[in-house]
Amino acid sequence: MIPLFTGHKNFGAIPLIIFFNVLVFNISLGQTITDQSKSNENIFLVKTKQFNEFIDRFNYNTDFYGNRIDSTFMKKMPREKFIATLFDLKDERISTNNNSSSGNYNETKTSFIREVNKNNFLIDKYSANIIAEARSKVIFEGKPETVYVFLNQELVGRDMIKWVILDVRGAILNFLKTDTSLLRFISPSSNETDFINLRRAMEDIDHLQYFAFKDYKVDYLTVFFYLLNQKRIKFEYVEDIIYHIIEIPGWCIKVKEFNRNEMNSGWLISDVMKNNLDLSDYLKSLK
Amino acid sequence: MFKKVLLLSLAASISLCLIGQTKTAVTSKQAKIVDEINLSEEDIALFKEQTMQKVEEFQQYIKTLGSKDEPSEKRDMAEKEALKLFYKGAEMETSYILPDSSVQKIIRPMEKYLARLKSLPYTRVIIKYYDIAYIREFTKGPDGKYYSTATIIQEFTGFSNDDIIYKDITKKNVEIIIDIVEDKFFQEKRWKIYLGDIKATETKIANP
Repeated sequence: MIPLFTGHKNFGAIPLIIFFNVLVFNISLGQTITDQSKSNENIFLVKTKQFNEFIDRFNYNTDFYGNRIDSTFMKKMPREKFIATLFDLKDERISTNNNSSSGNYNETKTSFIREVNKNNFLIDKYSANIIAEARSKVIFEGKPETVYVFLNQELVGRDMIKWVILDVRGAILNFLKTDTSLLRFISPSSNETDFINLRRAMEDIDHLQYFAFKDYKVDYLTVFFYLLNQKRIKFEYVEDIIYHIIEIPGWCIKVKEFNRNEMNSGWLISDVMKNNLDLSDYLKSLK
Repeated sequence: MFKKVLLLSLAASISLCLIGQTKTAVTSKQAKIVDEINLSEEDIALFKEQTMQKVEEFQQYIKTLGSKDEPSEKRDMAEKEALKLFYKGAEMETSYILPDSSVQKIIRPMEKYLARLKSLPYTRVIIKYYDIAYIREFTKGPDGKYYSTATIIQEFTGFSNDDIIYKDITKKNVEIIIDIVEDKFFQEKRWKIYLGDIKATETKIANP
């Protein structure tokens, strides 16, 4: 196998593994990780540098060097411990040396790791159940605003992959307002007057949805595309990404990048929760 | 591998001529070529090694570009050669951590980024790259090209005379593209590695 890393001549595997064994032991004692004495190179090695690397580590495929996990590594670091290192260990809900730690979250996390390990749950890298939420900066009518673009991967043909936009959310797209104080409708006989009242209805621009059919839902993606097309929105850049992974039966994990110069950094699990929603319902739940 | 690509390409070209010239026909045939020409696992492993060489080449050009001690001709040459490594239209996204800890991003065309690097206001710079890089596996895109990303770390130190006036550690994610190029002279097609967009993120130093 071709190793993912090249030129790692300065690093000894064993000290690193021992370090992580100690690290996991320390975590179990509730200590956070801040090991400033390690060189930046070592930090880079242990850091989960790409989301792809996160999945490889989660699936227990590759070690810190990107080499396939062998029996020696397995003995020193079982999968349960390895997955534990993929959590943001600075999460106050995990850390037990302060008052804000959450017993519930710790229990959920432990139960998740145990279940993944017991059932050998794996994440398919190209699964449609990996949703990337891209918090993005846009300029809307001259002002900076934020929108959330949701994407997942789509298989093309037999073996080609692309990311596609599933949905978009943002305050600027919520152009319709809720108001139940008035009953808005187009009267039953208005067809006989060639819908003269349609003009009045269409002037009620904040509440147009009340004149639509009962199952009408705003398609924010189309609204977004239209505003881009009309040059009322200019897309600037993606500020950060949160991956929602609903691939593991019964669970959802959120993975985001922790940019800090420490071993426990890079793409890490920021949240874990029970989930039984499928992709469509999960997306709808993201308000 | 190259022979395989060449044969497939020639066969596809002949078929294209026979099928006719309507846009739809050409498009569907192109799609077929994309389906047919695949890299084997061995080829991809080989390209992974070559990717590292390309990335190292780019790092070397960056060092030359930033070095005020080098003659301007050499730095100009480095700029030109560095650009040749990139796919047309590649952009550089740079993140800056502002004093209030918020992050600002600037996206520049690669040409502008490299030109800017040449004219940094330091009397001397030291650019150090770590001896390791992470390269993810190649994934085939709908256009038949293969895509990957390499992650490297750069330490940058800018001096004014002997004083350090700027220092940062930056993580760079470099998109890697393997594309088929046509060599008109030899009338053959071959795979070639290009660098694509780069995302550069300044690493936040942990609070003590």
